[in-house]
Amino acid sequence: MKAFLLDDIDQLRDHLASQRSLFTPQYTEGSTELNWLPLTSKTKSVTTERPLLPTYPAKQFFFPDREILFQFDGSDFKETLPEPEPQILFGVRSCDLCAIAYQDRFFRQDPYYQARRRATLLVGIDCNMPCEGGFCPTVDAGPFVRDGLADLVCHQQQDASWLLMVHTPAGEALIQGLELKAAESHHITRRNKQEQQVAARFPSATHIETGIQRINQAQVPAETWQAMGLQCLTCSGCTNLCPTCSCFTSYDRPVADGFERERCWDSCLYDAFQREASGHNPSATAGQRVERFWFHKFSNEYTKTFDRYGCTGCGRCEKTCPGVIGVHSVMKRISATL
Amino acid sequence: MDTASHNISKITSSICPYCGVGCGIGLRVEQGRITGVEPLANHPVSQGKLCTKGWSTAFAVDPIDRITTPLIKENDTFRPASWDEAYQVITEAFSTAIAEKGADALGIIACARATNEDCYAAQKFARAALGTNNVDHCARICHSPSVAGLRQTLGSGAMTNSIDDIEKADLIVIFGCDPTENHSILGGRIIRAKLAGTKLLVVDPRLTRLARMADLHLQLQLGTNIALINGLLQIIFANGWEATEFLSNRCENEEALRAKVAKYPPERVAAITGVPEEKLIAAARMYTEAECALLTYGMGITQYTTGTNNVISISNLALVAGQIGREGTGINPLRGQNNVQGACDMGALPNVFPGYQEVAAPASREKFAASWQQKLPECKGLTSLGMTKGALSGDVRCMLIMGEDPVVTDPDQHHVQQALAALDLLVVVELVMTETAAMADVILPAAAFSEKAGTFTNCERRVQLIQPAIPAPGEAKPDWQILGGLASRLGYNGMNWESAEAIFNEIAALSPLYQGMSYPKLAANYGLQWPCNEAAPNGTPLLHSKQFSRGKGRLIPVSHADPAEMPDEEYPLFFTTTRLHFHYGCGSMTRKSPLLERETPSGVLFINPADAQALAIRPQTRVRISSRRGEVETRTVITDEVPPGTVAMPYHFKEAPSNRLTNNAQDPVTKMPELKACAVRVTNLEDGTK
Repeated sequence: MKAFLLDDIDQLRDHLASQRSLFTPQYTEGSTELNWLPLTSKTKSVTTERPLLPTYPAKQFFFPDREILFQFDGSDFKETLPEPEPQILFGVRSCDLCAIAYQDRFFRQDPYYQARRRATLLVGIDCNMPCEGGFCPTVDAGPFVRDGLADLVCHQQQDASWLLMVHTPAGEALIQGLELKAAESHHITRRNKQEQQVAARFPSATHIETGIQRINQAQVPAETWQAMGLQCLTCSGCTNLCPTCSCFTSYDRPVADGFERERCWDSCLYDAFQREASGHNPSATAGQRVERFWFHKFSNEYTKTFDRYGCTGCGRCEKTCPGVIGVHSVMKRISATL
Repeated sequence: MDTASHNISKITSSICPYCGVGCGIGLRVEQGRITGVEPLANHPVSQGKLCTKGWSTAFAVDPIDRITTPLIKENDTFRPASWDEAYQVITEAFSTAIAEKGADALGIIACARATNEDCYAAQKFARAALGTNNVDHCARICHSPSVAGLRQTLGSGAMTNSIDDIEKADLIVIFGCDPTENHSILGGRIIRAKLAGTKLLVVDPRLTRLARMADLHLQLQLGTNIALINGLLQIIFANGWEATEFLSNRCENEEALRAKVAKYPPERVAAITGVPEEKLIAAARMYTEAECALLTYGMGITQYTTGTNNVISISNLALVAGQIGREGTGINPLRGQNNVQGACDMGALPNVFPGYQEVAAPASREKFAASWQQKLPECKGLTSLGMTKGALSGDVRCMLIMGEDPVVTDPDQHHVQQALAALDLLVVVELVMTETAAMADVILPAAAFSEKAGTFTNCERRVQLIQPAIPAPGEAKPDWQILGGLASRLGYNGMNWESAEAIFNEIAALSPLYQGMSYPKLAANYGLQWPCNEAAPNGTPLLHSKQFSRGKGRLIPVSHADPAEMPDEEYPLFFTTTRLHFHYGCGSMTRKSPLLERETPSGVLFINPADAQALAIRPQTRVRISSRRGEVETRTVITDEVPPGTVAMPYHFKEAPSNRLTNNAQDPVTKMPELKACAVRVTNLEDGTK
């Protein structure tokens, strides 16, 4: 891995933006909401202050909320594979990068996802402090970016200057033309040490650890799931904002001369998600559906396929759940039973 | 949709277009189209959360199926027309009606989903451009009794407290509503409060989600609210649990109320309501012992022939217990639409100008006549149901309906259809083809909330800004521009505003409640709660803290009365209407989402296991439901959510319109129809065939 020293991260960002369209988390105009938006002349300098995470992870860049799969005009089918412009996502946090790697596997054979993914280079950024509600160290997803999950990784050192790590040839090509001083091995050593210090600043997450054990040992009583199911208002917020959630449904929309098949994000918390044509539903109660959701996030069953849990510790579900059954609430309830 | 890429171009901060909670929503724009929403993490009401309807907003405003040009009906089909031509047809018909029968032969239905600016324009159009007070909107069938009842007892018909107060209460009382279904983000805050130790008391004939979580559930018979509350008051007075000091300092007419409720001892009330005496006593104790008890209610109070009296009895209870005028207390009606509070505030009602200034008061008429440069009509106008009645009798000749679908949402569908068919001209301003729009002679294409600037007022009186995320499709325009253009054709030029902001400034100048507000101030504060004026420049989260709007709180004795139609031998079951979390109103927005549409069948009857067994009904059995007004066929869901003897249907589905069955009997004060109770017979259509 090559590494360089960087005084001005904005200069790097501008250099990258001169080559491809660039998206980065920034405040929506006139508000204090951190959203993924295109870089413009109004975009402010990169900051390392809270909030660290934008409302959405980066998944909608590859797996959009809605997407046309093909068109049919009454006699012929028309392919609608995307032909995206080359783009860069700048400032992706470690949890969200782990989730992209997770979805890369899930959508390995999905040409729509892959077309967008191949057109995108990722620039990660290390989190130098815990974010509100985040627990990435507990699920091995941060706070610093894992090797190989981004093309470039930026790390702010204690003197406020930056360490730039290059993980792919595409990343190396991006920084051609920038005059950068090579970093030395002690810079890398210091970064490794700093990650331990940042990780130590996260609040205790024993409820998460205990909860994972209970889920994997099938020790959570059905009544606990039912009680939490009663709190599920079926809003779909957790699955919409979860960086690893990937379920979709498809449907045909009539258009002028035929129809188009579109897919959109689905949610496993909906009653009709698994309801069969007969009306029979293998997950008929809200409690069973809540249980299934968390099983998918924390069961060892899936680590064989994905090499990690389906939760990357971002905490977005806790913030967006109106029924108080986001990850912290659920894992506290689970770890308190028995 | 362009398939080349999915590049986010911008996010526009706005307000959710569904219920009256008023959640913050970011509209994500890609390639000139709204493709998704982002909850606003810092919004004071929603705090980064949305319900399933809010999350599906991109589907609701999808360009597919939108009406993009004016349409004129010829030989029973619609053809595109120019704005000029459409205006011409309307102007001719309106002018003829005025010449032949006077301006009261016209009626305007404004819209609780449109902006304040649109609603203000609608009532100004009726009053100044046409010369009639025949202007109303769907608050008639949701919270007109709240406005009428609370104005008599407190002097103001809006939520007394703020949504934030949910977390400040020790006890939350939920009367005749299920906020987790219809006001989910507010309902979620009740769940959060409950988990943190707040007690819950639910009064509802249905075993709702919150009833399952409650510390105490009073499962009363349909239509017995007044008996129940009088019974609680009798227990409170008999035990000396009333707020003595509060009553003597801040209320009047206590003796009359005492005399009335003395006739409602627990044994009588238990017999009427079906709620055991010990539960009545426990509830009276809980409500009076709580340091801060916040009461919230919904359609289970208002949609009765006794709607106004139901609201008055709610007010009696809060006043006697002194649970009002402080943080964490109060009387909090939950408003169904994003801007039903605002539509009322704007005077889209037949009896009041903007800011609830009475049409009957000469001083208000003079004030508005001077500002609007027009002589104004004196007599009170017709309500929405009065207009449909007038259409049948020939007194009302033309109507203009903005974005409402009375064919699906109003009681007694056959009656509504006959009335609209009898008009000389029906004009509908709409986004998509609804059942009502299909009956129109002229359809005018409206801009959606995501395509215009303006303000919505949520149920806690918070006036919030919306701004256009994308241009309106085709020739669609905001309602206020449509009405302004029509007013000019009719010879009135007082509605040629340059922007929504100019209208808002006119509203602020004429309505004391909004006096201190402006677009920049609203933008800087996530909205402001009215009244906002010199005395309260940053708005008023809490009403009635020192004194009531009318001075003293008035206690008004009211009596129990049965619903207009009770079950009998011919129609043995009680029938009530409900709403589902997944749908909204007539479904014209929510039913565009494939996920929401998949979630529920298009029509369903909820029936208790005991009644189902008696009729040999199994899940998904095909049944016919008949009332004295009509019949509907649908399928059953068996659930203990409804009590034995009562069946329920949601009203969202044109395929199984519950309003073919509902009773048009009305509250004498507000003309609110009795949508919550009538009598039906259920017939098993599969019985004997198997």
